[in-house]
Amino acid sequence: MEEFIRGPLVWIAFAVFFAGLLLQGWLFFRNTSPRQRRRLAVPEPKKKKPQKDKKTPLTPAALYAWLVNGSSACYQRHWPRLRRTVLFTHPFMTVVTVVFHTFLFAAPLLARAHNELLRRGLGAGLPSLADAAVDAMTLVVLLCGAIFLWRRLLVRRVRAITTFYDYLVLAITLAPFVTGFMAAHHWLDYHTVILVHIGCGELMLMAIPFTKLGHMIYFFLYRFLLPGEYSFGQGSRAW
Amino acid sequence: MAAAQQATVDTGKVKDLLAAHRAEMKRYLSHCMHCTLCAESCFLFMARDKDPRYMPSYKVLNSLGVLYRRRGRVERSFLEKIKKIVWRNCVLCRRCYCPVGVDIPRMIALARAVCRSQGVYPDFDEQGHQESWL
Amino acid sequence: MLGQLNPVLVLGCGGCTSICLAGGQREAEQLAADLREDYGNRGGQLEVNTYTIERQCNADFFADIDRLAGDYQAIVSTACGAGVQFVAERYPRLPVLPALNTDFVGFDKDVGWYEENCRTCGDCVLGETGGICPVTRCAKSLFNGPCGGTRADGTCEVDPDIPCAWFEIHKRLREQGRLELITRVRPAREWQNQIRRTVIQEPYRERYGK
Repeated sequence: MEEFIRGPLVWIAFAVFFAGLLLQGWLFFRNTSPRQRRRLAVPEPKKKKPQKDKKTPLTPAALYAWLVNGSSACYQRHWPRLRRTVLFTHPFMTVVTVVFHTFLFAAPLLARAHNELLRRGLGAGLPSLADAAVDAMTLVVLLCGAIFLWRRLLVRRVRAITTFYDYLVLAITLAPFVTGFMAAHHWLDYHTVILVHIGCGELMLMAIPFTKLGHMIYFFLYRFLLPGEYSFGQGSRAW
Repeated sequence: MAAAQQATVDTGKVKDLLAAHRAEMKRYLSHCMHCTLCAESCFLFMARDKDPRYMPSYKVLNSLGVLYRRRGRVERSFLEKIKKIVWRNCVLCRRCYCPVGVDIPRMIALARAVCRSQGVYPDFDEQGHQESWL
Repeated sequence: MLGQLNPVLVLGCGGCTSICLAGGQREAEQLAADLREDYGNRGGQLEVNTYTIERQCNADFFADIDRLAGDYQAIVSTACGAGVQFVAERYPRLPVLPALNTDFVGFDKDVGWYEENCRTCGDCVLGETGGICPVTRCAKSLFNGPCGGTRADGTCEVDPDIPCAWFEIHKRLREQGRLELITRVRPAREWQNQIRRTVIQEPYRERYGK
């Protein structure tokens, strides 16, 4: 059992992870088709010809003026939409979420122990950060996870749509980080903890394509490819 | 119309309608992160003292979500119940925002279509509503 | 208008025409029944079905119709003129007929009773006329004061049942203490040569390259 978790199951987990993501991506493209713009008589956006810039004299004053004008024009164009995004309506949650996701990826990818295993297994690994840095990232991930849990339990409107499934997925996501931290610091019996850590990591990897954690790719597919008021761009596909 | 109100739900028709939209429905329902960031984008939520029942995600999960879980096998009384959710609690203004990109109005429109297929839809000349359909 | 076209789909609209009790699901089903009966009375047989979508002016609501449209030879739409044209453009090979005449943008005076308030002229002067529209409320759509035919009781010379709009405007502005606005001269409106109008909201202009 132990050998299985440390051995073949690692490969299986990664295979399921990558294949699962590819499968979900393929299913998305199979279930959508290119949006038939012509049928809706939506005019094709005219390709903007690159304007020949008037030569700006390279004086500091001129450059400064260009910078100020450019950024003010940019601000005026984008501010109304930016103001309506979640960054401004829910600043705390947005920051917590962005930080959480950044370190969620960074901590495992840049951990020395993981990269050592990669080097042994595949011959090459990613650059690693110092242990203290990875520890800090892990703790931040756990802190953000605790914030998510607090929201689920105590914020009325979140509780209104929370189910057991939400707690389960949160547990699956945080378990590798808890056990990883414990293993790195040799808390309790290292042998058992590291085994649990590996198992939790495999579980999480396999869960990603088939649970709501699939938003890992779906965020990008939905926001970039499906049209909508908040989509990035016009959206080229429809269900 | 009165006769239709007494009739049982044509489950086959409901299932067909759900099946035609299965791909997007299944994926949108399962990829909803239950994060409630859509709440403030609904003006009804803001106007009703931030009552969680007006959150776009709540509306979808308690109408289409239930329809999907029960595979379309529902009673007429259930359709009458979600009639209030998808018509009175939502005007389909399409302003709801989802960070993942779930098309919430599409789900509401689908729930409405299921109701309509069974003759359940608001009567705009009904008098005596405590809260109008509008 | 249907002639030999058979089968026919009566397409109901869950938007404005539902609310004004003209073209919602109930009205669409009634229309279908009437058509069926009418054909039957004349010895013919019309196969007519109905389907109601939430709005006919937005492509997002057409997924179900896209699947059904091919089964029919004509669509009778109970939407406003905007919806009828949108459907016609989406299915260019299918005759799309309007079931309604789109009259105005109005308000509910009471259940089932609607009155015109706006003709979407695109150049609103309501701020200067105390909230009374000279385009819709004045029988001659005058912009710069009454025509001189106002009757003694303040009604319109064209139709004694309606008040003279400029008399009402004068009353309203005086009540608000803004009577000086009534002396402002407004330029003539370009009623001819009006091409189809387009509006793209500012935050979205870049998305469409405009």
